[in-house]
Amino acid sequence: MRAILVRRLMTALPTMAAVILLSFLLMRVAPGGPFDAERPLDPATRAALAHAYGLDRPLIEQLGRYLLGLAQGDFGPSLVYRDFSVGDLVRQGLPVSLTLGGLALAVALPLGIAAGALAAMRPGGWADRVLMLAATIATLLPSFVTGPLLVLAFALLLGWLPVSGWGGGDPRHLLLPVIALALPTAGAIARLARAGLATTLAQDHVRTARARGLSEGRILLRHALRPALVPVASYVGPAAAGLLTGAVVVETVFALPGLGRYFVQGALNRDYPLVLAVVILYAGLILLFNLIADLLYGWLDPRAAG
Amino acid sequence: MRPGVLPLAIVAGIALAAILGPLLLPWSYDAIDWSAVRAPPLSPGHLLGTDAVGRDLLARTLAGTRVTLAVAGAAAGVALAIGTLWGMIAGWCGGRIDEAMMRIVDALYALPFMFVVILLMVVFGRSIVLVFAGIGAVEWLTMARVVRGEVLRLRHRPFILAAEAAGAGTSAIMTRHLLPNLAGVAIAYLLLTVPQVVMVESFLSFLGLGVQEPMTSLGILVHDGAEDMDVAAATLLVPGAVLVTLLVALTRAGEALRDRLAP
Repeated sequence: MRAILVRRLMTALPTMAAVILLSFLLMRVAPGGPFDAERPLDPATRAALAHAYGLDRPLIEQLGRYLLGLAQGDFGPSLVYRDFSVGDLVRQGLPVSLTLGGLALAVALPLGIAAGALAAMRPGGWADRVLMLAATIATLLPSFVTGPLLVLAFALLLGWLPVSGWGGGDPRHLLLPVIALALPTAGAIARLARAGLATTLAQDHVRTARARGLSEGRILLRHALRPALVPVASYVGPAAAGLLTGAVVVETVFALPGLGRYFVQGALNRDYPLVLAVVILYAGLILLFNLIADLLYGWLDPRAAG
Repeated sequence: MRPGVLPLAIVAGIALAAILGPLLLPWSYDAIDWSAVRAPPLSPGHLLGTDAVGRDLLARTLAGTRVTLAVAGAAAGVALAIGTLWGMIAGWCGGRIDEAMMRIVDALYALPFMFVVILLMVVFGRSIVLVFAGIGAVEWLTMARVVRGEVLRLRHRPFILAAEAAGAGTSAIMTRHLLPNLAGVAIAYLLLTVPQVVMVESFLSFLGLGVQEPMTSLGILVHDGAEDMDVAAATLLVPGAVLVTLLVALTRAGEALRDRLAP
């Protein structure tokens, strides 16, 4: 177990370093900048602005300063939201995005596993076919299509739920965004769970359990589910990436004050420090989730732990 | 009917409509009909109605589908080229080189793709060439893994050994003997890459970071439709339905082909 973790960290840490370095350099060699307005600034103002933000220093010094700040949790000033540091925006937005992603995962996991289990009970049966077609479609539903459709149906036509906004974390405001975000993940989990279960249910220990006269439900829960969830566990990393990416769209569609929405604004306005911070932060989060997936993997299938 | 035929026919139908349709319609995708703003579907002259500034929805959807498919095809081509080359070199060389190249692929797999593409868009400006080059550059990983696996499987087959014994050079073996045997599986995965790319393209365009006005794409149309859905629901429903149908059909077709070619 520890050997796997050490080996994973050996790849994760250099990856993280490369992400920070490359995205920092990319941002600095980029043509054009945040001070390019429709009316060009006069050179003196421009120079003063560049000086104030340290953009006139040598590249290596800028990198050094940035890394030093990063180590202290300081992501630098936001170039577009002038009154805020990027750290402020992250502290404001990240909890919203994580709440959204966490709730979506909490919905998608049980939903996906239940659908997968139901489908795997009779491979090739009608429930299997219908559920797997539904899962394929759900996996491919872009949240920027489902989001507006849900708003149209439940907020505009039926008037049951609010159209958009955070509402201080009111569950009624969260329901539609969480569904739009959870559907693709639930579909992918259902497909993986079905594949895992179909393989496991055909194995000898399940046949033995059947021969001993155990009920199907008990076999499923006690004997088949745990080893069958191995492929689901290995999906935790990509799922985290998908949820964070999806959150960008869902936050935009539902006007939620999450980090993803700041990221899009930052990208549209070329707010380098903001974009850089989000890329670094999310890369770190996804690497973390890949590590968690490895731990889960070892717990679900002790043979893999070595 | 064989699995995969129906989805493939749907994809072909949509592609054909997107290519030929705009030639047959009286309205171009950016022509404004001032006499019919937000016309509902089935209005005279506008089969699917018009959008908020009176542009024909059918013409716009077809033009948008065409752009989306073109970007997706080009990006998938970039992914195919990089992935095949990378996988062939890794699989053929083996040993340390293989190990290092595949480690890089593993490391890239762990990165947040969409954010990397957006980073590229921010840095190099939003041009359509960069949209598909950027997407292609991050979607090649699965292709590289699949091709490497195939090369490893074929590497010690008698016909390759015979070619080597007959004195054929590495490049000749790769192009004449390996590539034709890889093609089937590579095409199946190419078909599976296209929906991924369609998704990325419409995602970026929806956020305003991909294809730019006055050009249009399914992502832009969904975005515009979502802005206007309270008064003209068709502007959201039509491009949304085309996008989802395209994604599902492409994926089903790709999976059917893959299952037939790769056991």
